[in-house]
Amino acid sequence: MDINNVLKALCSEGGVSGNEKAAAEVALSYLKKYDENAFIKNNSVFATIGNGEKKVLLDAHIDRIGFIVTHITEDGFLKVAPCGGIDKRFLPALQLIIHGKKDIAGTVVSIPPHLASDNKPLDFDEAYIDTGYSKEELEKIVSLGDNVSFCSPFAELLGTRVSASALDDRSGVAVILYALELLSKENINCTLQILFSSEEEVGERGAATGAFSFNPDIAIAVDVSFAYASGEKEEKCGKMGKGAMIGIAPSLDRELSNELINIAREKNIPYQIEVMNGRTGTNADRFAINREGALSSTISIPLKYMHTPVEVVDTRDIISCAELIAEFVKGVK
Amino acid sequence: MLEKLCLLNGASGDEKNVREFIINEIKDYCTYRVDKLGNLICEKKGAGSPKSKIMIAAHMDEVALIVTAIRADGSLAFSAVGGIEPSTIMGTRVEINGHNGVIGSAAVHNLSKSEKEKSPEMSALYIDIGAETKEEAEQYVSLGNIAYFRSEFVRFGDGKIRCKAIDDRAGCEMMIEMIKGEIPFDTTFVFTVQEEIGTRGAKTAAFSVNPDIAIVLETTTAADIPLSDGDKKVCLQKGGAVVSFMDRSTIYDRELYRLAFDTAKKNNIPVQTKSVVAGGNDSGAIHISRDGVRTMAISVPCRYLHSPSCVADMADIKACLDLCKAVLCEIGNI
Repeated sequence: MDINNVLKALCSEGGVSGNEKAAAEVALSYLKKYDENAFIKNNSVFATIGNGEKKVLLDAHIDRIGFIVTHITEDGFLKVAPCGGIDKRFLPALQLIIHGKKDIAGTVVSIPPHLASDNKPLDFDEAYIDTGYSKEELEKIVSLGDNVSFCSPFAELLGTRVSASALDDRSGVAVILYALELLSKENINCTLQILFSSEEEVGERGAATGAFSFNPDIAIAVDVSFAYASGEKEEKCGKMGKGAMIGIAPSLDRELSNELINIAREKNIPYQIEVMNGRTGTNADRFAINREGALSSTISIPLKYMHTPVEVVDTRDIISCAELIAEFVKGVK
Repeated sequence: MLEKLCLLNGASGDEKNVREFIINEIKDYCTYRVDKLGNLICEKKGAGSPKSKIMIAAHMDEVALIVTAIRADGSLAFSAVGGIEPSTIMGTRVEINGHNGVIGSAAVHNLSKSEKEKSPEMSALYIDIGAETKEEAEQYVSLGNIAYFRSEFVRFGDGKIRCKAIDDRAGCEMMIEMIKGEIPFDTTFVFTVQEEIGTRGAKTAAFSVNPDIAIVLETTTAADIPLSDGDKKVCLQKGGAVVSFMDRSTIYDRELYRLAFDTAKKNNIPVQTKSVVAGGNDSGAIHISRDGVRTMAISVPCRYLHSPSCVADMADIKACLDLCKAVLCEIGNI
């Protein structure tokens, strides 16, 4: 599997929380290779591989942060509300794609110097989107409730690093797809459940309904976490290129996390430990308390500049995460 | 043509790519020379000789970033070349020596409440080209290298375009078209350098050309967005060519200002003025060159200037070119 190509294909799609279909379809097309009955329900993608006794859920969220259109002004600008945690500081002149009846370009207005009075960022209420259309023309293409996402094409940086928007968490999707490829020649002794879940960014909702459907015994959320970059606190971040971040947290199953750490050590898979002090802010929070509960942990890809249009990951870490997952799944009896 | 011009990289002091492209376009239609600073000065024959010497100018340079330090973690510290608002470049892509880079900053999740409510300072931003160490970065980048906005040329909406560097490649494009076409009077066309760091090229060019009358072709701020009202909108897109009476560097020749409006009316060309005294352009250097030059500025109303996402309207660009040609017919006789 060419990781860069998969990331590029996944990140090129919209799929803002609540409207994941376009991205889910791409992910589904990759999954069909492993489960021809894979399907999309409630904007999440479901696949099942193997028929062992133990049910092991591998999850990555398919949604991305973005906006939802709330109003069309008389002069053809859009007003929007955020879907997920968006940083207001980079709104001015931000390049966007408006997912209407067709995709059209949009640009957030910026206030020219003669009008700027203070050092405050635009509020979402002021972040009008310039569409270049009159209201009349615009209404033929865009309706209230349509989504808007960052326009930031995939780019290769030096070495094995790549940048795009939506690497949170399309790189998690790529990890699982790569793990499935590694497992494709192996005997799987469990029932492997794949969930590319919707609506993580607005409160892990797809994870809640997806886990209910699957009712797993063990669940691993594959998401991104903070990689150290200038401006961040070093002790609160993982290191880019240094391997899978294995979560330890009161809300996670400590034995499962320890098992993942042991496997990484034994198999010489690069890993690092990510300690959290309560819940994790990932889908694992939902899995742990699904139905009667599930043993849950997190495996995270270190990522820089989270929730900006230029998120960065190192594909070596994607490989480490996938290898760790494959080794873990192989060991489940 | 405008697309090609905008996508060329040419920051102040680094205009070579743009100049060579333009020379290639115009070399069969005029005589030209390049002065010591890099200004491209073109003598174009018209149908007749003007009563006064006429110069038309547009600048080739664009705003960009210059690398000032390579840090231990491989990230690049930079300063702005020209006036750039940090919030417009945070989270964007750049291109440096043919390599991709991104402008990084701490994730929003890890900011304090007060940090979230403050626009970023330029000094808090940096460029990440994917290097893991200073040594790795140094293989690809040197101090003083320029990082350019990476933006596509996008046609959108009703006749709009979005790209970097529309300021002032739009002016360059109009001049190239005029040089390639027929003009009524002999004219000196000057493609200037270093406008964005203080109209420096225009100063030497105006001295050597020594014109009586000058027209500057530019872009100017259109603040016709929902956050501004009335005169604070400055000028309107689809409102036509902008002819200024005053900005922060120039009080424009009153007779030429009136002549522009009369000419526009006569030729049915949409025209407007700026309702705020703000900004400045090469006119500032040109109109006080030697013993003074009568100067007029014709500008394209442009939104989000000096960002990677300048927005202009093709109809306005056409109006500016039409007006410049029509005005040229008139000023040859004064």
